[in-house]
Amino acid sequence: MEGARAQSHGTGLFLFLCAAMLLLAMISQQPWAAGARGMAKSALAPVESAMTSSATQVGHITSVFGDVSSLRAENSRLRAADEQQRRQIVELQAAAKENDALRKALNFQKSSGHRMVAADVISRGPDGFSRTMEIDRGTADGVQAGMVVATGAGLLGRVKEAGPRMAIVQTLGDPQSRVNVYLSTSHLQGTMMGGPASLQLEIQHMLGVSASTGEWAITSGVGGGYPRGLVVGEVASVTHRATSTSDEAQVAWVNDPASTTFVLVITDFMPS
Amino acid sequence: MRRAAGLILMAGAALAQATWAPHLEVGGAFPNLVLLGVVAVTWTLGTRAALVWAIVGGLLLDLTASGAVGPHALALLPGVYAIGFWIRNLEHPNALHVALSASVCTVLYSTVLLLTGDLLGTSLTSLAVAAQLTVAAAAYNALLMPAAFELLRRFQALSRVALQPT
Repeated sequence: MEGARAQSHGTGLFLFLCAAMLLLAMISQQPWAAGARGMAKSALAPVESAMTSSATQVGHITSVFGDVSSLRAENSRLRAADEQQRRQIVELQAAAKENDALRKALNFQKSSGHRMVAADVISRGPDGFSRTMEIDRGTADGVQAGMVVATGAGLLGRVKEAGPRMAIVQTLGDPQSRVNVYLSTSHLQGTMMGGPASLQLEIQHMLGVSASTGEWAITSGVGGGYPRGLVVGEVASVTHRATSTSDEAQVAWVNDPASTTFVLVITDFMPS
Repeated sequence: MRRAAGLILMAGAALAQATWAPHLEVGGAFPNLVLLGVVAVTWTLGTRAALVWAIVGGLLLDLTASGAVGPHALALLPGVYAIGFWIRNLEHPNALHVALSASVCTVLYSTVLLLTGDLLGTSLTSLAVAAQLTVAAAAYNALLMPAAFELLRRFQALSRVALQPT
């Protein structure tokens, strides 16, 4: 700490670096810089992929420890259980979960009638403000910015930018995300917005009809941003606003971005 | 040698932040490992070194994020500069000061990140949500900061021993 205090404060360096980074941000934001930006981001993709896969392994190991501690308190008989057998069970459970996700994805791919590219999630946005995830497929695999991304459960988001071997997906949880939906029972239309905890839905009023909890929110295709018929989530609560032209609802998203590891990019639909 | 080791550490922190840290999310916030590293460098090596490492770590974060390259690097700089000022005028620094500096840096980082997003037309987060996420992240980072500081101090001591001529 003494060494740090003895150092000069570096105001000049601070101002220079601030100006340089601001300039870099403004330049790299330009559409003509998208190719170079994508290539630079693609360079990190293999390392991120390796780290994510090692995190999954660590997750398996920690879940073994988690199981051990909770079961010990619950039943002393399990103390003598064989650790190796337990690890195998946890691994089998993880494999079954993954198989289930893959089976759902395969069913979704078959039933939707769209052409799709399967991709693994390799990282997530580094700050809490943007809800994005990086996938290991890019322009080399036919993935382009604007394409819709789903899982076997339903809509996940949209490709925001794509490099040769990676793409960044803006999930529905991102504050910038907007999706037009209709409700399965009342057929009311609305716009879904992203949020940190749950998805917010603004429902347009219609005389004599009101939204209720338990209805499914499904993409309406209005605006041409998303294909019609993709499941987004289930209405968890509705706030009726008599003085407004719209009601507000909280929607429980069918996808949990924190645990999503495998996605499908719809390659034959581009937003109009 | 030390710079190479520092670069590996910073790259590791940036990659871990994008791959592992989101699994530790609490209240919408997760630890900012690069920020913790940069604050620890400010305390141990001084402002100038920390400004340079903030650029390195920030650019690595930008490569894992969507949109322009530069906002994360820019967002880390004011925190480092402010902590540098504070350290200079501090008589007897302790662990609480170190933890508090991480909170201050997080608040400045979030503010600059949102302002840059507004400037570039990429941010739509409401003020209330942004404030909630910033407070949660500041508390999270403050909790982890003393450990990060201790880790860097030990690494520094270790690298000193390793680099001493025999």
